[in-house]
Amino acid sequence: MVKLTIDGKKVEVEEGTTILQAAEKLEIPIPTLCYHPLLEPYAACRVCMVELKGETCKLVPSCNTKVAEGMEIETKSERAVKARKLNLELIMARAPAAEKVQELAKEMGIEKTRFEIIDPDEKCILCGLCVRTCEEIVGANAISFANRGKDRMVFTPYGEPSEACIGCTACAFFCPTEAITFEDIHKRLVVHEEMELGPSTAVRVPIRQAVPMVPFIDEDSCIHFKTGECKICERVCEKEAINHEMEDEEIEVEVGSIILASGFKSFDASRIPAYGYGRYENVITALEFEKLVNASGPTSGKILMTNGNEPQAVGIVHCVGSRDKKYNEYCSRVCCMYSLKFAHLLKEKTNAEVYDFYIDMRCFGKGYEEFYHRLMKEGTNFIRGRVSEVTDMPLTEKEEGKLIIRVEDTLLGEIRRIPVDMVILATGLEPGIDQNEIAKVFNISCSQDSFFLERHPKLAPVSTFSDGIFLAGACQSPKDIPDTVAQAGAAASQALALADKGTFELEPITAVINEELCAGCQLCVSLCPFTAINYNAEKGISEINDALCKGCGTCVSACPSGASQQKHFRDEQIFAEIEGIFIE
Amino acid sequence: MASYRLNIMICAGTGCVSNRAFQIREAFDKEIRKNSLEKEVLTVMTGCNGFCAAGPIVIVQPEGIFYQKLTVKDIPFLVEEHFLKGRPVKKFMYTPPKETEPIPKMNDISFFQKQVLIALRNKGIIDPEAIDDYIARDGYAALSKILSKMKPQDVIAEIKKSGLRGRGGGGFPTGLKWELARKAEGEQKYVICNADEGDPGAFMDRSIVEADPHTILEGMTIGAYAIGASKGFVYVRSEYPLAVERMHNAIAQSKEYGLLGDNILESGFNFDVDVIQGAGVFVCGEETSMIASIEGKIGEPKPRPPYPVEKGLWGSPTNINNVETWANVPAIILRGSDWFSKIGTKTSKGTKVFSVAGKIKDAGLVEVPMGLTLGEIIYDVAGGIHSDKKFKAVLIGGPSGGCLPADCLGLPVDYESLTKAGAMMGSGGLVVADEDNCMVEMARYFLNFTKDESCGKCTPCREGNAAMLDILTRITQGEGTMEDLDLLEDLAHAIKDTALCGLGNTAPNPVLTTLRYFRDEYIAHIKDKKCPAHECRQLNTYTIDEERCVSEGHGCDVCRRNCAYDAIMGEKGKAHRINQDKCAKCGVCYEVCKFAAVKVD
Amino acid sequence: MTHENFEPKLVGFLCTWCSYTGADLAGTARMDYAPNMRVIRVMCSGRVDPQFVLKAFKEGADGVLISGCHPGDCHYQEGNYKALRRHRLLSKLLEQLGIEKERFRLEWVSAAEGAKFQKVCNEFTEEIRNMGPLNLNGGIHEQAKA
Repeated sequence: MVKLTIDGKKVEVEEGTTILQAAEKLEIPIPTLCYHPLLEPYAACRVCMVELKGETCKLVPSCNTKVAEGMEIETKSERAVKARKLNLELIMARAPAAEKVQELAKEMGIEKTRFEIIDPDEKCILCGLCVRTCEEIVGANAISFANRGKDRMVFTPYGEPSEACIGCTACAFFCPTEAITFEDIHKRLVVHEEMELGPSTAVRVPIRQAVPMVPFIDEDSCIHFKTGECKICERVCEKEAINHEMEDEEIEVEVGSIILASGFKSFDASRIPAYGYGRYENVITALEFEKLVNASGPTSGKILMTNGNEPQAVGIVHCVGSRDKKYNEYCSRVCCMYSLKFAHLLKEKTNAEVYDFYIDMRCFGKGYEEFYHRLMKEGTNFIRGRVSEVTDMPLTEKEEGKLIIRVEDTLLGEIRRIPVDMVILATGLEPGIDQNEIAKVFNISCSQDSFFLERHPKLAPVSTFSDGIFLAGACQSPKDIPDTVAQAGAAASQALALADKGTFELEPITAVINEELCAGCQLCVSLCPFTAINYNAEKGISEINDALCKGCGTCVSACPSGASQQKHFRDEQIFAEIEGIFIE
Repeated sequence: MASYRLNIMICAGTGCVSNRAFQIREAFDKEIRKNSLEKEVLTVMTGCNGFCAAGPIVIVQPEGIFYQKLTVKDIPFLVEEHFLKGRPVKKFMYTPPKETEPIPKMNDISFFQKQVLIALRNKGIIDPEAIDDYIARDGYAALSKILSKMKPQDVIAEIKKSGLRGRGGGGFPTGLKWELARKAEGEQKYVICNADEGDPGAFMDRSIVEADPHTILEGMTIGAYAIGASKGFVYVRSEYPLAVERMHNAIAQSKEYGLLGDNILESGFNFDVDVIQGAGVFVCGEETSMIASIEGKIGEPKPRPPYPVEKGLWGSPTNINNVETWANVPAIILRGSDWFSKIGTKTSKGTKVFSVAGKIKDAGLVEVPMGLTLGEIIYDVAGGIHSDKKFKAVLIGGPSGGCLPADCLGLPVDYESLTKAGAMMGSGGLVVADEDNCMVEMARYFLNFTKDESCGKCTPCREGNAAMLDILTRITQGEGTMEDLDLLEDLAHAIKDTALCGLGNTAPNPVLTTLRYFRDEYIAHIKDKKCPAHECRQLNTYTIDEERCVSEGHGCDVCRRNCAYDAIMGEKGKAHRINQDKCAKCGVCYEVCKFAAVKVD
Repeated sequence: MTHENFEPKLVGFLCTWCSYTGADLAGTARMDYAPNMRVIRVMCSGRVDPQFVLKAFKEGADGVLISGCHPGDCHYQEGNYKALRRHRLLSKLLEQLGIEKERFRLEWVSAAEGAKFQKVCNEFTEEIRNMGPLNLNGGIHEQAKA
């Protein structure tokens, strides 16, 4: 530990501490510009100078001078203050537009600079924070200083966009004067995260309503995974809760029942090229619109196009990817209602003209039909017809700069072209991408459209053909929230009932393997669809798990030695039946 | 080994070379061949003799006859008279001003009398490209002495005892620096020779490297042995191609002789040297910038501590010394620290090489013992002020130095005295100013250089120097105010206090010393809008003394004919007059008037 | 050989979950169909052992039907596929024995397809009627007599 005096106050700090840090401990403020606690001190702005008293009094930069035993420091001595003020005046002349500098000047009592201002719009104070960040923290080394003396500036090799830049925007983050900014190269003001355009923070919470509210590290945006450096988050986390080396863990849990609620996937609207998703900036999907309208979205809830303006006309296209022989034949159930919700929100938040293109209006629930009528009164234009295409090629002057929706209005019996600014595609619900893999793992079946198959469409909507595995939600079929909640409750109660019963009902018609007849050929083991048969290596025979056996009899008919027999459907019994048929 | 009756040592320093020293050699060789003297007479190109004002210089050994200001035309006569007939030619010798008889021998000439040659002990005597010459002059004897008889600690003790201080300008005790480097932790250590010599017009280091590269190598090897370094670098500025070449050559020759590289002189000690060229940046003469440059990074200083002796090149302990410092080392080791410490003053031992330039009669390179006064150097060694004008100031230390007035002529040349006076020993540049030099302009001139060379990293040097230059320029143009003067002084102090490296710390020195000793000139520029030395032409008013023009010059009309601005009116035979509105103050009329009829004010 | 007054004897192995229920439905819906089909209920069409088919023919069946759930719908997942495989192989084998493949039929009847069951029964009966009795037992002797 080192003892020193600052401004007459004594302080004791660890060896290796700088004067600035020691002053911080005493809450003595010293102005700085090029200093940042996360970077190595640069000591270039010379605004943090303090006076070191002693045999030869001299001024030293407090940000990088390490303390020594018995040091006597004056932070507000006349000499130090004068020098600091002069240096700040010089910086004011270099970068008159830098707000931070003006603030500091006000604090120090400097009204204006006596020195010549060359560029009144200059903000860069050459503090080097951006360059040092890119070198020390990010490890990309994409920018550096060029030229010397007064011509010094932050630059990229040859002034070209640097190849080494990973677009992390850390330089802009550390810049104290907003001299470095970043913008979308297409100059978009609204960028949809789902389109994965534009940088997102590597450390963030999944959504504002996440439970638990624990941030995660997005490997794709994280600088450490791109350059091997950074790890600032680890440095600042007091609880040491960050570990970049975390790998996925496989955990084995033994359970008695399983509820599958693996959800759905949105229909990929780019599969319908005629609608222009992915080609036209302002054609967005329903989920993207949900994000847009949400207060935690890219525009804080304002409905804006990518150029930052409000749309004058919006078209909502139903049945995108649903009720379509080319994509999915089924109806996705929820789209009509959410489209009506969008229409309502648009009317509420903007003055836009709203067009709703539907085939049928499916308002099956409580209050749904009434909502539809309300919208009709609000002035949404409902056009009955499946939209054939969205195009930006104008045929008339009115259509210039607009997206034109081309549709057959089946009520009018005409083909219409409706110019709009924004198109919202009501994409349908599809089974998740790995639906079939999950089905295989859990040994359940999928129906034709790949949603999970329930045991009985009317009487057993939450159970599957495998005992103990239940279904809930959109993985079983498209449904909205009330239905999902109901189904979830049902699945939960069935699972609980199973656990609660204490007893388990077995099928009476299970198969049994006669140990003496069984040769251990294991043919039955692979045939059993319920994996109810296990080969006992010790005994050399196959054994049937009564609890799992459903009594289909497949193993029985396949068994070459007749060791497997189905209770109440034994071979002899069936032979007897056959004989009985032919008795005259 | 051949032996010659006569050795013709031809000075091949820059000045003499630009005055056709090589052509002179060719002429000699031609005459020698013509007279079949090849076996008797040898011509040798040597390093800079030092008496640059008298160049081209030739010294005939072993007699030691000194010839100066030779031209190619003179050579045939010289060869015939001196080499064949044995009659040294008086008219080519040096005759001091106000005297009639020439001085034949070099060491009798006042320029050389007060000099004590240690760093430059071999100049003019050896062929810098022949290692044998160097060895014949006790070269590498010091190295063999330490490798066989002394331990590294002994070497350091000897250097410490000698009192040798860094000759690059800082004056840090060399022995102490070596000791710190030795003590520092690190397996790999480095030694570097600073041959960047960025001071404009300075050529001390250049002369040493070009005249005697081996003394540097020997010094570095001794230093490396003392510190425990196995690798050395000579950082030469690219603007010295001859020095680079001579260094490469010397290294190759040393290696060949086993005096450099692995297992030097069979002692088991390994030391290798590489030459690194600078890239035209003054700040790279500063230790940390030089290290950054060698590492391939931008030549920018780093805050110290940590000092290079602890953490230098690639993080390893590195000892950097100036060319002149290294050049002294073999002599100290060979002749002993006692001998060395007897030369110089109590605190500044040994000698210092100065390049004396400016308004001086005998400009050139001199090596004098420390303690000699400024006056002695300027008047006794360098012959006094050119054209016998009045001495005004001497600037020591180049753009980092200070301007000292006549009052300081009695100051002994040593580190402490000069610093106390506000100047700096620096690397040894001495520029003499006379009554015709404007001190404000002098400060402005040097500040222009330092501002240009500022690396731009820290605020005070980057912005402050430019601001100071701004103010000085305005003052020299007659647009300065008294507030400017205060601001200038404040700036100078602030920059000196807060700059990050030596360049910034010392850039205000010319300003501060001129403000201290020549403040009246500043005030004249500001209040009277006049330049007392008439150097700031914009402030001059040129008038013609019409009486004199007629009585002495008879209206010769020369001035009017030479005026490019049509500002002079008059007819031949009649008095002439200057039209002030058109006068551009170029001063040409003043210079061409043979009758001193043009007055300047 | 005479085919007059020949009433085919048909045996049908119906799976409980789909086909048997479908047949049940035909009954409750009062659908008219040929009475020649004698039904044996099994849990799954995959339970049907080839021995059963052979036994049926041996006992005097003129035609044998296996009916199960539609592919993909089997209550026991894959039993009907096994029935399918066995049917194909067995047909080839039966042909070797002189039993025409038309006499051994595999159908998919779901629990809702009462009408289909009716159709299958009627069609099968007519087909076998036209083909005549199989007469596996003593068939040769009859021919020898004739």
